[in-house]
Amino acid sequence: MTWKSPVALVREALQGQRAREKDLRSLMSNLPYEGLEKGKQPNRYFPSNAIKTTKYSLLLFIPMNLYEQFHRLANIYFVGLAILNFIPVVNAFQPEVALIPICIILSLTALKDAWEDFRRYQSDKKLNNTPCFIYSRKEKQFVERRWKDVRVGDFVKVVCNETIPADLLLLYTSDPNGVCLIETANLDGETNLKQRTAVSGVCNSFEPESFNGIVVCEKPNNNLNHFKCYEKPDNQKVGAGIESLLLRGCTVRNTDHAVGFVVYAHETKSMLNNSGPRYKRSKLERRLNIDVFFCFILLFAMCLIGALHFIWLYALPGVPPYLVPPANGHLDSPNLSSFYMFFTMIILLQILIPISLYVSIELVKIGQIFLITNDIDLYDEETDSRIQCKALNITEDLGQIEYIFSDKTGTLTENKMVFRRCSIMGTEYPHKENIRLAVLNEPESEEEVIYNQDLQPLPTGWSLESEEANSEDTHRHGSRRKSKVLGTTQSDVAFSSPLETEVIPDRKLLQQISRTGSSSRCQKIDPYLEFFLALTICNTVVVSMATTQRRRPLTSDNLRYEAESPDEAALVYATKAYGFTLLARTPDSVTVRLPSGEVLVFEVLDTLTFDSNRKRMSVLVRHPITKEYVLYTKGADYAIMELLGTPYAQRHLDCYAKEGLRTLCIAKKVVSEAVYKHWLVERQRALTAIDNREVLIMDTAVQLETNLTLLATGIEDRLQENVPDTIMALRQAGIKVWVLTGDKPETAVNIGYACRLLEDEDLVLVIDGRTLTMALSPDLRGDFVDLAKHCRSVLCCRVTPLQKSRVVKVIREKLKVMTLAVDGANDVNMIQAADIGIGISGQEGMQAVMASDFAISRFKHLKKLLLVHGHWCYTRLANMIIYFFYKNVQAYVNLLFWYQFFCGFSGSTMIDYWLLIFFNLFFTSLPPIMFGIMDRDISAEMLLGVPELYKTGQGEGDYRFTTFWVSILDAFYQSLVCFFIPYFVYQDSDIDMFTFGTPLNTTALFTILLHLSIEIKSWTVVHWVVMLGSVLFYFIVTLAYSATCVTCNPPSNPYWVLQNQMADPMFYLICILSTVVALLPYTFHVLRNSIALSPLIEAKHLDRLDPSMREEWMKEWRSYRGGGQVQRSTLS
Amino acid sequence: MMASSYNAKEEDGHHSGASSGAGAAKNRKPDNTAFKQQRLPAWQPILTAGSVLPAFFVIGLIFIPIGIGLYVTSNNIREFEIDYTGESSNSPCYSCAKNVTWNSTEPCFCTVNFTLERPFESNVFMYYGLSNFYQNHRRYVKSRDDRQLNGDPSSLRNPSKECEPYRTSGDLPIAPCGAIANSLFNDSLVLYYIDSNNSQSEVPLVKKGIAWWTDKHVKFKNPGGNSNLTAAFQGTAKPVNWRKAVYELDPSDPENNGFINEDFIVWMRTAALPTFRKLYRIIQKKPGATPTLPSGNYVLHITYNYPVLSFDGRKRMILSTISWMGGKNPFLGIAYITVGSICFFLGVVLLIIHHKYDNRNTSADIPS
Repeated sequence: MTWKSPVALVREALQGQRAREKDLRSLMSNLPYEGLEKGKQPNRYFPSNAIKTTKYSLLLFIPMNLYEQFHRLANIYFVGLAILNFIPVVNAFQPEVALIPICIILSLTALKDAWEDFRRYQSDKKLNNTPCFIYSRKEKQFVERRWKDVRVGDFVKVVCNETIPADLLLLYTSDPNGVCLIETANLDGETNLKQRTAVSGVCNSFEPESFNGIVVCEKPNNNLNHFKCYEKPDNQKVGAGIESLLLRGCTVRNTDHAVGFVVYAHETKSMLNNSGPRYKRSKLERRLNIDVFFCFILLFAMCLIGALHFIWLYALPGVPPYLVPPANGHLDSPNLSSFYMFFTMIILLQILIPISLYVSIELVKIGQIFLITNDIDLYDEETDSRIQCKALNITEDLGQIEYIFSDKTGTLTENKMVFRRCSIMGTEYPHKENIRLAVLNEPESEEEVIYNQDLQPLPTGWSLESEEANSEDTHRHGSRRKSKVLGTTQSDVAFSSPLETEVIPDRKLLQQISRTGSSSRCQKIDPYLEFFLALTICNTVVVSMATTQRRRPLTSDNLRYEAESPDEAALVYATKAYGFTLLARTPDSVTVRLPSGEVLVFEVLDTLTFDSNRKRMSVLVRHPITKEYVLYTKGADYAIMELLGTPYAQRHLDCYAKEGLRTLCIAKKVVSEAVYKHWLVERQRALTAIDNREVLIMDTAVQLETNLTLLATGIEDRLQENVPDTIMALRQAGIKVWVLTGDKPETAVNIGYACRLLEDEDLVLVIDGRTLTMALSPDLRGDFVDLAKHCRSVLCCRVTPLQKSRVVKVIREKLKVMTLAVDGANDVNMIQAADIGIGISGQEGMQAVMASDFAISRFKHLKKLLLVHGHWCYTRLANMIIYFFYKNVQAYVNLLFWYQFFCGFSGSTMIDYWLLIFFNLFFTSLPPIMFGIMDRDISAEMLLGVPELYKTGQGEGDYRFTTFWVSILDAFYQSLVCFFIPYFVYQDSDIDMFTFGTPLNTTALFTILLHLSIEIKSWTVVHWVVMLGSVLFYFIVTLAYSATCVTCNPPSNPYWVLQNQMADPMFYLICILSTVVALLPYTFHVLRNSIALSPLIEAKHLDRLDPSMREEWMKEWRSYRGGGQVQRSTLS
Repeated sequence: MMASSYNAKEEDGHHSGASSGAGAAKNRKPDNTAFKQQRLPAWQPILTAGSVLPAFFVIGLIFIPIGIGLYVTSNNIREFEIDYTGESSNSPCYSCAKNVTWNSTEPCFCTVNFTLERPFESNVFMYYGLSNFYQNHRRYVKSRDDRQLNGDPSSLRNPSKECEPYRTSGDLPIAPCGAIANSLFNDSLVLYYIDSNNSQSEVPLVKKGIAWWTDKHVKFKNPGGNSNLTAAFQGTAKPVNWRKAVYELDPSDPENNGFINEDFIVWMRTAALPTFRKLYRIIQKKPGATPTLPSGNYVLHITYNYPVLSFDGRKRMILSTISWMGGKNPFLGIAYITVGSICFFLGVVLLIIHHKYDNRNTSADIPS
């Protein structure tokens, strides 16, 4: 290392900063510079590929972790109090002892953080040391290195089934067409293969050393579907996009090897996509914070009362011997000492702000999430996925939902498409055989799918491309037919069920084709032929050969179709049924076998990929026979309609929509060579542009897609299993379900009926996007919300993602209700606008899942998640929090407070401080946590059977303003009992402080635990162990402590106090009496349970009946309750 | 607030696990165990009138007899109490009360006559009582050195900081140090019985056995054993308010002198409430049928050293017999009877309610 002046170092650092911040980066190959020192490397400013996700370093762990922890207000409060304790004039406890609780809390959290960080460190290490091949100029070949050695500007070789170490610009593949297939399952869970093409111009006979160009690329960003760069081999720009980028974390498939140029190391797209879990604050927690604020007021008032004791001091004629002056020998003035007293009281009564509450809530939520993720009913066999809880602190919000906003495609429906009908040249081909097949197939579907049962279950997913596509642009329909129950079949591969791959051709259409097919292909503009050719060509389906690594259902020709969206697969399989087989697709050509057996190779001139603005895709090919330039376009019906040169009858399309089919239109156009040439120039310019590239590319696409000729088709998307049942249950639970879809009104209404969202007698609002825009305008918003409030269901059709999120926001803000958004694809906006976002990890697009708080695999899981887990989590947590306030006020704070009236407001405690700490930390901490995790007020069967019970959690629910104050009042009453019964017994006796405090403490413990016992709705083994264990632990620890501590904790001295008390029958008499009197108000609770039955209590009674009787009762009860008139009730 | 600290594994975010290829996908099906599926067998009590009313009756039936027993026991306890503070001019200790200060060197004597209407059987406990004396004041309670009192020689020479400002006197360490010891109750009370021929006979007062056994034998120890306390306490000063040094508390009995003097130990066990009594002496039961304290006239000779008027305090002498439940206190008995009756009454109310309402919850009238 040569020495550098500081100025040089600073300059270097600044340059590096500038190089990283620039919008465009120019990258060069590292090879010419191999072996040179770092300062001479061209790409030295860019970080190396070694990743470090750890938050802390070994040396700085303690300060950094403390800094992190002190971001929490509660910790600062408690540390402040502990520090206050070190000031001699105000301290209430020994300063060192006062630090214990906060130290325990801080170190527990630190320990947890350290463990998590260590796990991250380990996985980082493993990842960084994964081997990979980097080209070395010295050895003239690719040598094995580690991932962390990869630098920007290196050439990396990846072989089949290997994971890609960094974002690579694909330069060369072993495939003659320059194609490399990758699987992005690690990135987004999608298992279909995606095709990447080598940057044109360098693909053949590639030698890393001869690469002398400069790669100019954009600044790293987290968009998985966008990448812009151009390469300048010799002053000539070659543009490249995402289709040439191999993303870190993806796996190379079906390609022997590929070589790429490292453009991003460390700042890879996958790394930039890791935003970590999101934190939302639940409604309950917001309420909780208000109550904590009330506690502060209460604390302040109590301390003020303590501070006012100087009045008492003034009343004395002289200085009593028990007033001890400070070390200087002079008593403080009453004013000053009362000022000190205020702080002493704060220290003494600090627990009124429950330190353990926040930790306990956190633990309880971890426990709740553990139980939710382990629920076997929320597990999906098909995709082998459990429910994922991404937001960790809003479990209880699940129990308070009042509005559900749902997308349709992939949410209510399977998003598995079946080719159903088509209309060519105004003739309808209904494919009746297909419908029959579908119906027939249902019972025997299990056997049908068995042939791929030996496969490893894979999560299915959809393409990268379709992720940014907005779901409203694809029009999918569900039919009213009963959805096919896949049940336990292991349909682990996308679109592999016989329904999708095996299309029975319509006889009439088949005849039509064979007629045209036989009558020679001179009849080139035969619409039927064109229709099927268009279907076969106009897609991005990749044909792949079978390899041992990934097996997919093979077609009879040993062909496998890797489609980016389910409708494409459906169409390709359909054309195959008619004999038009897609044999191969390369970037430059499409090979199609015609029914006649003839194989045609179409030269692909360009593919205008799908985007959400155009809502269509086009492929420009050159016909091998006619040599015409033909543009085939496929897209949503209205996206095509507006481009048609000739008007077309809407009749069939409307008919399809009414049947709940998703319609796609296929159109074609013949382009003259001159037009094409002209267009090509524009296109090239657009492709190499860095700025506005998307816009330019789109513009060029739009230029070409005009004056089309129409062909049509219809595709069906089936409803997921149990969707109507789930929606029924949710509606019975008092939840309003809104469906927001991009579909046409007819389709939406149809699907609404199919999933029982709409029923004939309902008041339903169906509104389309344009109207919605007006309805959401500021002056109409109020009226719209009022109207919507009275509707049982609302269907919004033809809405954009932005509108969806605006609807959610408006409802959430105007009605102040808890909202939940479900989406199966890409509606990130909507999911984030709602209080809870739920993603359905289905077929297409994982963005919703990534942005969601909970990710489920089927819509039907929503029922148990909300009705059972939501209800449980909410009641558990609400009751636990209320209990916590009660516990701290009762046991700790009030007993001490009442004692202040008898010790001259001096801040004395009648219990040894260690025992006080233990009381809160050990003796009474576990039972409420267990209560919060495991209590079960009503069985899951009951909650599912009577969805109306869910209403108890909506609105204010269990945890409301009065509940808090009732529990505080209860705590005051109980503390008065616990204090004053022993007080009157021991009045004017020779009782000493700790002996007096012992029955108080014991009674408090019993009362607290018995209070909880009454709150506990179901006692399992765990409950018994924890409760009895807590009591035993109290006695063992206290006995041991007071037996051994002779002078261990000066000046407090608990020696032999409890032993003495336990030898005295009075102790037991006091404890029993106080406990009974303290719990006597529960009689009201009992009376209410008997006289005014709340629905929850009634449900509990039903729960005890045997199942058959329960069924009968449930029916009876629900009719008696009027099906929706269950009043909200509270559990206090 | 705290909830935000939990970091899920997702945050680690290594999508790109090299080994996690498609083939390595594991079966993530949750275990079908009763705990994880929240189906542990559970007892689910419902608190209704029917289910809790037996408890009320049982409580009522148990509490009322206990209460009666406690009440009777308490009533059988003889207790006599006399205030000798002398705050009013007609009381015998008026002049003492007025003159005595912490700095007085001369003791002040006064006598109080009283009459016991009824004889006291069995052992009689003699207490002194103080009112409005906050022995539980925070700084006061802390102002002691348990190690010193436990006989630790180094603490004897160098008492704990907690004892300030009663830690040293001049250069010498104070033994016993601290405010509690400094304010030791130092009145002495002697009881005389005036028999029918008006002659006074001293009632024998036992001064040992009044402290906790553990205090006397474990907690409190003289430095260097109980012999030759003068030497052991050489180089220490007496507390400022004391008239005599700690090793002169009871020179007659080496087992009751120095730190293990029982009057001292009793005082050091700080009272819980501002009005308290502390055991002073025990009057042993006489053999045979003669009452320990026969009814009649008594005179209490008081060496009045302890000033209480400066803080509005009162001093009392209390004679009390004792039972298994301690001193006289009717409260607990009455409370038990009251609570027992309330529970019984509530039991009846619940019974009525049970008959009126609970039937609809039983499975008896399920519609068939």
